[in-house]
Amino acid sequence: MIGMPASRIWNRVFTALAMAVLAYAVLAPLSSLDALQSLGMPLLTDKLWFRLATITAMFVVMASAWNIIGGLTGYAAFGNVAFFGIGAYTVGMLITKARWPFLLALPLAPAAAAVFAVLIGLPLLRLRGHYFAVASLGVGVAVGELVQNVDFRGEPLFGGASGLFLPILAVPNRDLYFFYLMLAAAAVSIGVTWAVLRSRFGYGLIAIRENEEAAAVIGVNTTAYKVAAFALAATLTGLAGGVFAQWNVFVDQENSFPIGYNVEMILMALLGGTGTVFGPAAGAVVLQLLIQFLSGSLPITLQIPFVPDDAMPVLAQVVLGVLLMLVVVFAPRGVIDFFGGRSTLSIAYLRRSLRETSV
Amino acid sequence: MLAGGIYAAVGVGFGLVWGVLNIVNLAHGALVIIGAYLTWQMFAAWGVDPFLTLPIDAIALFVLGYAVQRGVINRIIRAPLLFTFLLTFGLNLIAVNVLLLIFKSDFRSVTTAYSGAGLELGGLVIPYIRLAALAIALVMAALLAILLSRTRVGLAIQAVGSDRDAAQLVGIDLRHAYAVTFGLGAAVAGVAGGMIAMIQAITPTAGEPYTLQAFVVVILGGLGRVSATVVGGLVFGLVEAFGQSIPGSGSVFANAIAFGVMVLILVTRPQGLMGRLR
Repeated sequence: MIGMPASRIWNRVFTALAMAVLAYAVLAPLSSLDALQSLGMPLLTDKLWFRLATITAMFVVMASAWNIIGGLTGYAAFGNVAFFGIGAYTVGMLITKARWPFLLALPLAPAAAAVFAVLIGLPLLRLRGHYFAVASLGVGVAVGELVQNVDFRGEPLFGGASGLFLPILAVPNRDLYFFYLMLAAAAVSIGVTWAVLRSRFGYGLIAIRENEEAAAVIGVNTTAYKVAAFALAATLTGLAGGVFAQWNVFVDQENSFPIGYNVEMILMALLGGTGTVFGPAAGAVVLQLLIQFLSGSLPITLQIPFVPDDAMPVLAQVVLGVLLMLVVVFAPRGVIDFFGGRSTLSIAYLRRSLRETSV
Repeated sequence: MLAGGIYAAVGVGFGLVWGVLNIVNLAHGALVIIGAYLTWQMFAAWGVDPFLTLPIDAIALFVLGYAVQRGVINRIIRAPLLFTFLLTFGLNLIAVNVLLLIFKSDFRSVTTAYSGAGLELGGLVIPYIRLAALAIALVMAALLAILLSRTRVGLAIQAVGSDRDAAQLVGIDLRHAYAVTFGLGAAVAGVAGGMIAMIQAITPTAGEPYTLQAFVVVILGGLGRVSATVVGGLVFGLVEAFGQSIPGSGSVFANAIAFGVMVLILVTRPQGLMGRLR
């Protein structure tokens, strides 16, 4: 390896590492199949593993989807959780009220989210900067509230505060089924990002991010592009919501419209690097594992002296907040910047990014 | 309607920080709740009259706000808006969870001898505390407006708000001006929090709705002027009261109505009810 820059060696090491982790994540669940278990294979997976892996894949979808509107188009959407909830409730309603089979209901989840995104995108995407960010946040909050509280002839239309209970899907190896379904959704999101970045559409979005007026001048139909990007993000997020509904078997306002998801998906995209293909996905994996670790859901947990166990989840949130601050202040271009060979992690880099943004 | 005073008080600090620093401070609700807990702590532990704790809230929150701005937020003030959003969200997360560690998630309330007393007005009882809160909010807003338009510090803040580089050229210490601005915003939030502690039960997570409401209030009134924010707060109080009076809806649609109004205003009149286009 003599003569090779250190950054490229690291680049290769991390790529290899990521491939190994990915291969394990994709193949390990197969060890839960009866045929393989009877062969006496080492037991690699259990309920907890599946839950964690499926949630992680779900966040890969959401972070990648946010990247399309937030990272590529530069519109800081803070209400994407509305699309997740709409996807979840679409599947939930079709299955519980209309008795549709899951696989028939699932395609309608992204469709409903996309239609909603077009409807609210047309007025909202006229706003810029803070105004768009908080207006979208308001939509996220308001949709969740409406879904829980709208009544029709005295009956809650969408299950109300008690939520919707879906029948358990009768498939062999349910855990495996939903993990691969969510993984497929994650693969689709990454693939879509990749395709967008290489298309005329993607260049248009980047032009809008860099300078919207200039983009309009060179002939980009900015309104159509922005709404399309918003709808694309909604489609993917709605898909994740739809899978989540049947996987979790229960949907209510709290698990379908958690405001915290908005920030988590943005932080993931930011941590990994916005505007890149794999960045948001990498950020989602790292941050989700960290969140689970801090809140004590992993088999390996942290023991800190003088801190009682029940205070750990609260402390985990404090750590998350501090982490958020450190990333934003010191590495505004995302941690992936260090692994891509563009810059190396050094005191000079940290000082430079600090100087660029401070007064 | 009287709740409008609280909304105005919460909104004024938020609007000041937003207008001058160009930061939407997602930790604003947390500052409000820190003020509320200070009042509760002083009342519960030492029996201090809650109204006397308000100036102490203001001073404590000013110091905290100054330090936070000087130490942390100043470092990313020139970053894209997403970063300031995330940073203040992180600050909010830290503040709320530290409060949770200290005070746990129990409901706390400040109940004084005169808590139930009120002014009877043709069958309506208007609690004195709410009236006083409205009066204090208006006085505080007026003081802030005078401070901004009549004193050297206030003029410096306004100069920094309208053109950062030009302000620096004429010798204004940007870091100090920013920190004072954020400190003032935090101080006003702290006083609002102290008043909230007297009116409703508080928990560490009770601040979040106030951040959103402050935003709506500032949008309603229009960014950049204290008086506009006060009007926004009062209008918001009315809209909310109106929303609660729709038969059958109870108070569950309060947020949805508030945001509906906000989106409507943003789309049709982005400069706010009283604002001027900048």
